[in-house]
Amino acid sequence: MKTAQDIKPHNVVLIDGSPWLVQKADYTKSGRNSAIMKMKLKNLLTGSSTETVYKFDDKVEMVSLDKIDTTFSYKADDLYVFVDEEYNQYELSAGDLETVLPFIVDGMTDICSAVFFEGKVISVDLPITIVRQIDYTEDAARGDTSGKVMKIAKLANGTEIKVPDFCNTGDWIEIDSRTTEYKCRTKAPA
Amino acid sequence: MASLDSPSLPPPRATAVLRWDIFCHVIDNYGDAGIAWRLARQLVAEQGQQVQLWLDDLPVLAALVPGVDENADRQCIDGVWLRQWLPDWQPEPVADVVVETFGCNIPAEYIDAMAASERPVLWLNLEYLSAEPWVEGCHGLPSKLPGNLQKYFFFPGFTDKTGGLLREADLLAQRDAFQGSKAEKIACLQSYDVRPEPQAMLISLFSYEVPALAGWLDDLREGEPVCLLIPQGRVWGDVERWLGVEALAVGEQYRRGSLTLHALPFAAQDDYDRLLWCCDFNIVRGEDSFVRAQWSGRPFLWHIYRQDDDAHRVKLEAFLALYLASFSETCGAALRQFWLDWNTGAELGDSWRTLRSERTGLQPGAQRWCEAQSQHENISQQIVTFAREGLIIAPADLA
Repeated sequence: MKTAQDIKPHNVVLIDGSPWLVQKADYTKSGRNSAIMKMKLKNLLTGSSTETVYKFDDKVEMVSLDKIDTTFSYKADDLYVFVDEEYNQYELSAGDLETVLPFIVDGMTDICSAVFFEGKVISVDLPITIVRQIDYTEDAARGDTSGKVMKIAKLANGTEIKVPDFCNTGDWIEIDSRTTEYKCRTKAPA
Repeated sequence: MASLDSPSLPPPRATAVLRWDIFCHVIDNYGDAGIAWRLARQLVAEQGQQVQLWLDDLPVLAALVPGVDENADRQCIDGVWLRQWLPDWQPEPVADVVVETFGCNIPAEYIDAMAASERPVLWLNLEYLSAEPWVEGCHGLPSKLPGNLQKYFFFPGFTDKTGGLLREADLLAQRDAFQGSKAEKIACLQSYDVRPEPQAMLISLFSYEVPALAGWLDDLREGEPVCLLIPQGRVWGDVERWLGVEALAVGEQYRRGSLTLHALPFAAQDDYDRLLWCCDFNIVRGEDSFVRAQWSGRPFLWHIYRQDDDAHRVKLEAFLALYLASFSETCGAALRQFWLDWNTGAELGDSWRTLRSERTGLQPGAQRWCEAQSQHENISQQIVTFAREGLIIAPADLA
């Protein structure tokens, strides 16, 4: 058990036997040194989301989910197949992968964590930093190297993210998978 | 009403009259009991509900409500069943609607009984009043708790997306009648042995301790006459030091230059309303008197409850952002500076003089704010609607 004020985004809490991913957790002082925690939760079994409020000192049950290293193998029909080092296959739907789906691309070599609840795979976590290639972006404006001017870039699967103006089509970039924000340019993965 | 996955819908209730248990733990001062009492009384008188108010400090309520026996385990006042909330909880039937005020921890045995109840029970937490924008996003949200219980957060507030404010249905009519009658005002003041000069500005002062009070009182000695009415409370210590007296006593009057001070008794809720209605400017504190000052239609200063990390400053600014829109720019700026100076312990002389120079614009602004707020449904109306929807009462039962 944790108190609600200690809950952070990416924690998983157990409510009525279901694991809920904390997507957002806002601590707010209410009155007389009391506080509330407003959270956005996603049910890891059904994919549904909800908002909820707790008193700061309410007890909340935490869940430690089992995780196994996997890599993305292929997509078959609507299922995304990941394999572990013993070649066990884990199938997930697009709904299961909702938050990481924009960064699932063919040929990706990231070591991903397949997340299990009661023996069933329910989602996949990407590494915090992932490397992707820009499939297309407008040419850079001449002279701006500050990184403050941003533009849209498309990845191979159509996902759009904001990158500095000096980035070019074909560049490899690091992305923070938690925030989906550009971090820096980098070399192509070996 | 928001809910988590797969709510199990309770069956329709047989009647629109619900049984309410309101729990109130007095943390400090009078606001806890005062607010819980107002809600209980309005639910009974205006919404026809059956209400028990469980209070763990009856003497506090006895100071606010005449007729309360601070020792009685069970008594009925204005149709509200008032119960002593003792540490040793004895089993009680669970109500239809359970309200914990300000997140007080209701007895574990009672929570167990709620969880075990075959009838649907709606559990509400009546939260603190705040004008901050986040309140709109939290009002009415559920809190999923262990044991298959779900509690809803009910936030009072100043917009249509909140639970509103506590206001008796006939309050403004009563106020208008009072303020329209010179005789009523004179009678009210004379009941405190207050006979102000005709041109005197009447100010009520019910605040927490104020570091810079002495400087402000010095300022009031000069210029136009001021009659300062000070109900017994925490600010008395500052007043005593300024006067150089050991202890103020109720009924005492002091004259210093053009300032007359009156030490008034602690006022019961209804008496305090009339005092606010009498005055040209009110200085109030906490939450309950803060709201009553707004319903008085008179300009006021809010001495906000101090919190760690200056959280109260954010709340003060949030309210000012709404409130001052009812005033002219210069008038609003003057009010704002006086409020900030008072609440930060700054010297008050300059901002008070500026505020006085804007005096003619204060009253219309306060009236506009009050009028705008009175357009919203009050808490008792909204909380009953919320409860009925939460318990899925069939429309025919609402007639």
